[in-house]
Amino acid sequence: MAKPAELHFFIDPNRCIGCQACVQACTECDTHRGESMIHLEFIDRAASTQTVPVVCMHCEQPTCAEVCPADAIKRTGDGVVQSARKPRCIACGNCVVACPFGVPELYEDRQIMMKCDMCYDRTSVGKKPMCATVCPSQALFFGTLDQIGQLRPLSEPVNQFRFGHQVISTRVFMMMPGGLVGHRPLVDVTAAMQDRPRERAIRLTPATTDPFSQVEV
Amino acid sequence: MATLPVDELKIIERFGPHQSAMTGVRLSTSTEPERLVKTHCCFCGQQCGVQLKVRDNQVIGFEPWEEFPFNRGMLCPKGVKRYLQGAHPDRLTTAVGRDSSSPHGFSPLPYNEAIARVAGEIARIQQVHGPAAFALLSGASLTTEKTYLMGKFARVCLRTPYIDYNGRLCMVSAGAANKKAFGIDRTTNPWSDMVGTEVVWVAGSNVAECSPITTNYLWQAREQGARIIVQDPRITPVARTCDLYLPVRPGRDAALFAGVLNLMIEHGWIDRDFTETMTVGFDEVAAYCRQWPVSRTADVTGVPERSLRQAAEWWGTAKTSFLFHARGIEHHSNGVQNALGTINLVLATGRIGKPKSGYGTITGQANGQGGREHGQKCDQLPGWRDISNPDHRRHIAAIWGIDEKDLPGPGVDAYELFRKIDAGEIKGLLSLCFNPIVSLPDNAFIRRCLEKLEFYVAIDFFLNDTARYADIVLPGSLQEEDEGTVTQVEGRVIKINKAIECPGEARQDWRIIQDLAHALGRPHGFTFSGPREIFDELRRASKGGVADYSGITYEKIDAQMGVFWPCYSEDPRTGLAIDHAGTPRLFEPGSYNPVARGEGPFYFPDGRARFNVAEYRPAVDDVSAEYPLFLTTGRVVSQFLSGTQTRRIGPLVKQYPEPRIEMHPRLAERLGIADSDWTTVETRRGAITLQAMVVTTIRPDTIFIPYHWAGPKSANQLTVAAQDPISKIPQYKVCGCRVRKADAAPAYAAVREPQQ
Amino acid sequence: MRPPREQRRAAVWGGLVTAVLAALIVAGSRNLNHFDAALVGYTFATLFAAFAITYRYSMWLQRPPTRMYWRRGWSVFLTPRFIGGNLVEAVRRLTLSFAANRFIFRRGRLRGAAHWLIMWGCVLAAAITFPLVWGWIHFETVPGRLDRYQIYLFGFPAQSFAVHSVIGFVIFHGLVWSALLVIAGVMLAFRRRMVDHAAVSLQQFAQDVMPLLLLFAISVTGLMLTASYTWMKGYAYDFLAILHAITVILTLLYLPFGKLFHIFQRPAQIGVSFYKDAGSREPAARCRRCGMAYAPAMMVRDLIGVERDLGFAYEMDAADGAAHYQEICPRCRRAMFGLAQAGAWSEGLTARLAGDKD
Repeated sequence: MAKPAELHFFIDPNRCIGCQACVQACTECDTHRGESMIHLEFIDRAASTQTVPVVCMHCEQPTCAEVCPADAIKRTGDGVVQSARKPRCIACGNCVVACPFGVPELYEDRQIMMKCDMCYDRTSVGKKPMCATVCPSQALFFGTLDQIGQLRPLSEPVNQFRFGHQVISTRVFMMMPGGLVGHRPLVDVTAAMQDRPRERAIRLTPATTDPFSQVEV
Repeated sequence: MATLPVDELKIIERFGPHQSAMTGVRLSTSTEPERLVKTHCCFCGQQCGVQLKVRDNQVIGFEPWEEFPFNRGMLCPKGVKRYLQGAHPDRLTTAVGRDSSSPHGFSPLPYNEAIARVAGEIARIQQVHGPAAFALLSGASLTTEKTYLMGKFARVCLRTPYIDYNGRLCMVSAGAANKKAFGIDRTTNPWSDMVGTEVVWVAGSNVAECSPITTNYLWQAREQGARIIVQDPRITPVARTCDLYLPVRPGRDAALFAGVLNLMIEHGWIDRDFTETMTVGFDEVAAYCRQWPVSRTADVTGVPERSLRQAAEWWGTAKTSFLFHARGIEHHSNGVQNALGTINLVLATGRIGKPKSGYGTITGQANGQGGREHGQKCDQLPGWRDISNPDHRRHIAAIWGIDEKDLPGPGVDAYELFRKIDAGEIKGLLSLCFNPIVSLPDNAFIRRCLEKLEFYVAIDFFLNDTARYADIVLPGSLQEEDEGTVTQVEGRVIKINKAIECPGEARQDWRIIQDLAHALGRPHGFTFSGPREIFDELRRASKGGVADYSGITYEKIDAQMGVFWPCYSEDPRTGLAIDHAGTPRLFEPGSYNPVARGEGPFYFPDGRARFNVAEYRPAVDDVSAEYPLFLTTGRVVSQFLSGTQTRRIGPLVKQYPEPRIEMHPRLAERLGIADSDWTTVETRRGAITLQAMVVTTIRPDTIFIPYHWAGPKSANQLTVAAQDPISKIPQYKVCGCRVRKADAAPAYAAVREPQQ
Repeated sequence: MRPPREQRRAAVWGGLVTAVLAALIVAGSRNLNHFDAALVGYTFATLFAAFAITYRYSMWLQRPPTRMYWRRGWSVFLTPRFIGGNLVEAVRRLTLSFAANRFIFRRGRLRGAAHWLIMWGCVLAAAITFPLVWGWIHFETVPGRLDRYQIYLFGFPAQSFAVHSVIGFVIFHGLVWSALLVIAGVMLAFRRRMVDHAAVSLQQFAQDVMPLLLLFAISVTGLMLTASYTWMKGYAYDFLAILHAITVILTLLYLPFGKLFHIFQRPAQIGVSFYKDAGSREPAARCRRCGMAYAPAMMVRDLIGVERDLGFAYEMDAADGAAHYQEICPRCRRAMFGLAQAGAWSEGLTARLAGDKD
């Protein structure tokens, strides 16, 4: 069985509230029960509550698979990049260091790389992935392009990402504010190299994002 | 009775809290559940629908329930891991009795013997000191059936006026404000009405952590064009990306609302037509608000003028809106005034009782709504009736088959009840679903009171932190071991379904209460065979009251996936039997209610809503030269209330193991404190030493401590027992404190696990 | 399209290995004197498998990441300073990983038990049958002693043993024991594949089920042969022999293409472990963004080379000269992923707010 072709995964980190429902739910998934495959990063908790959930983006041409010396990472016909094949993976860690999104994790004790496989035990039988089902902010969403279009007129799904000179196309979409800043064909990840999280995402005065700048200690 | 039977660590060693984990069948990837039980999460007032996987009388996992309309499968981490509270090593499967000769302070008792002893003690205390010498504390996480039974048990079996519940720490400010303004106490609109509005105002609610599912409604509203305003002393996750953030100084909310309303009046952003035809009292409110010009408001609240103006403009000029508030503005000795301040903002615009325009209070506990409607409050009878109202008393006495004169009068609030224990008026106590030594403010006082009791019996599934002081603990039921209804945040009555049987000698709480009534020789009215029979009596009792449940049946709840009360069995207009679907939206133009009788949509005889002057009063024990910083308390997403359950669920403990003191880096720098340093906070009540968490997301004049932990980690060692004069809610959200770097790690750090 | 040069090279290697094997068969069976003509089908199947496995192995080694690890693995293993320790470590790691399957047991007890049984069953069977098929081993009665057998290895006499001794029974039924091990392992594996939700969703017939079926078929038909000549006076022996030969030959032909190829790939795990040892001896790469160590510097350098070979362009234009995206740690990559999107939203929402003022 395979994931229905019309169903896609969408990520909107701007919605994320860092609650970790996705992390807790991910451990319930049968392909890696007890281990969470989703990354929820507090980018810099001292500076901000900003968080980003990262699942496998399921690249069209997965760097992880290309750099795997053991041919252990396979992409199924429905576009899902699977966790490493257990008989083959030799736990070298190339995929971990190569993945542009920082997704795979190495489990040295078991000599295996594991990563998000879009809850293949669920999606292959028509269910939604655990994380996207439970996500209370719907920063993680699983559905059709029509559905997301109707629900989120401010947003636009984008699935091209720039890393240096390399552009990667993925099966998973990132929700960009197309309705606010206009169409952008790709997300320039390396342009955010110098960005740091801010207290507030929105500037009330152009000068500062710190709403407490006037508060005396 | 006395101090703890043995050293607290010895009790903890046997009774926990210990952490559960995914092990055995709960880790297995090859175990098929025997069945899926559609029910709801046991924790907060959002009451997300969830399906529990059951096998061999054990909950082994969950499956999202995507059809349930409120949460559509969404769950927070607590909902995901709630199933790990079952089959727990700490579970009480027998009654236990205090026994200082036992190494762990308690030894098992046969259930019948325990019941007989409890009944004997109740009878003795009431014989010697009178019926009012025995008190009950109940909870808002119980099903409505149980809360109804507890109210009835107090008044009919024990004949004591002294019953109150832990909603006193939660929903009473909102409830009192709603009663004063609308004559009914319920969120006015279903949450779906939030999506499609022009502006949503979130007043004092850390939605992301305390009611996470509401986040999606907020972001959906924004996607459809809404501006989001968040008012909070901390930049919570939702405050980080909202459109307008009002960084209010703790305890200044009423001033903020008055100032904003004043700006709206100045600019003419008032729906005069509505205030004149549908409300009473606007002029008095307007007169009060004139004391709050924007500059003074900014000075007092700490919110920049520009932000206040922006809020007033957005709120004043919108055509549709939603405002909701939670404990952030309610946990104050000025809590009712704060809530009334928000209602005044809503009424001034006339945006209520319409699609895409409403007002709501986010309930905290599972049954924060239903638990405050049917008689476990000290001054209340079922159907949101008043225990001091002769008509109401007669109606309920008739249902209960007793003489109205035998029905006790109003009691006192939960905190006052402890003061009566302290004064020696109350000698015996029964608690169910309440952990006051963690959850009440200034809990050193609570400990002293517990030590003064002649007899204390607790009903719980775990030996909670307060139950360590009990003489006898009766083994109660987990939510999944019983059925019944609860009323969630929107006023939607939903059905909790039983998934498994109680283990060992544990019993459903309603059985325990009935067993006590029988052992006391007063079984009259306590012969229910199950929750369905209790609910049927509750329906009749609530009939004709404001919270009318008479038209609700378990079958209707199943068929409609919830029923919004009021739901009538007879048309209030004609008195004829009807099949009423319920009332998703209150106050719609032309709507009929039994109080106004067609005069208007609000629940007063003239059908009009009330403006109330919402006066700003400084907090009790406010900041001072001696205690110069604000202390505020609240929740984290992975824990729930006093942590009796969540501090026993391993994955949730690991997510946020121990309380930390949030402070701004500028404050930390001045105090010479670095992140993770042991830090001592002192108030007039006591001191606490925890690790610091240095973050820019809190006002530099404020520190925050989450309150889910017990003993030396309990934030409520610090909080002040000041209460709102109307609602009696304690002032958890503000008091003066001082902070310093600790000399050394506290003694507990070496001997207690994070959750203990 | 793979350059034909690589395929030619693989074909040459395949031919070479096949030729060497053929020569060894001739030499080991003393010019085919001890070669059992009945086993010729098996022999050709092994020769084909040798060619195909070598061909595929060679193709595999020519992939940039594998080539890198192959070269680096050997060079770090053979570094004179560490060769002694490496040899000791190699024995230890081979014992733990391969003899004991420790890492597989850690992946799951049932999985570990199934694999361990199948593996040892196959190893034992291969150790017996391949030398027999190739004529490298044969038995003769000791002259004058009809109750004793002499083992000949590569034509040289080795041990002798009594026919009716325990050791004789054990040796003559070696394939029975291996079949029982394999069948037990296959049963466990099938059980897992039937009840484990992860296995059910991920398994593919050709990849995961077929090899188990083949091993099962070999073992069962082999046991039936034994049963036939032991208890049934050779009933249907010829038919069973052909059936058995077919299952074995099919498996040998499947060997280079399917899941069982991991038998030949897996030793790379040991090479990788020595590569990691070498990496840990030199300073770690530090993230260009956060400054934290995240991987061995050698690995990052090598990977950059591999990515170039593969045609990726992760080079970045940095102020301080050429930079590569690999020089950013995975955690910072995730952070940048979030920050890149957040930046756009901040811009958009702030602009909307400003728009209100205009």
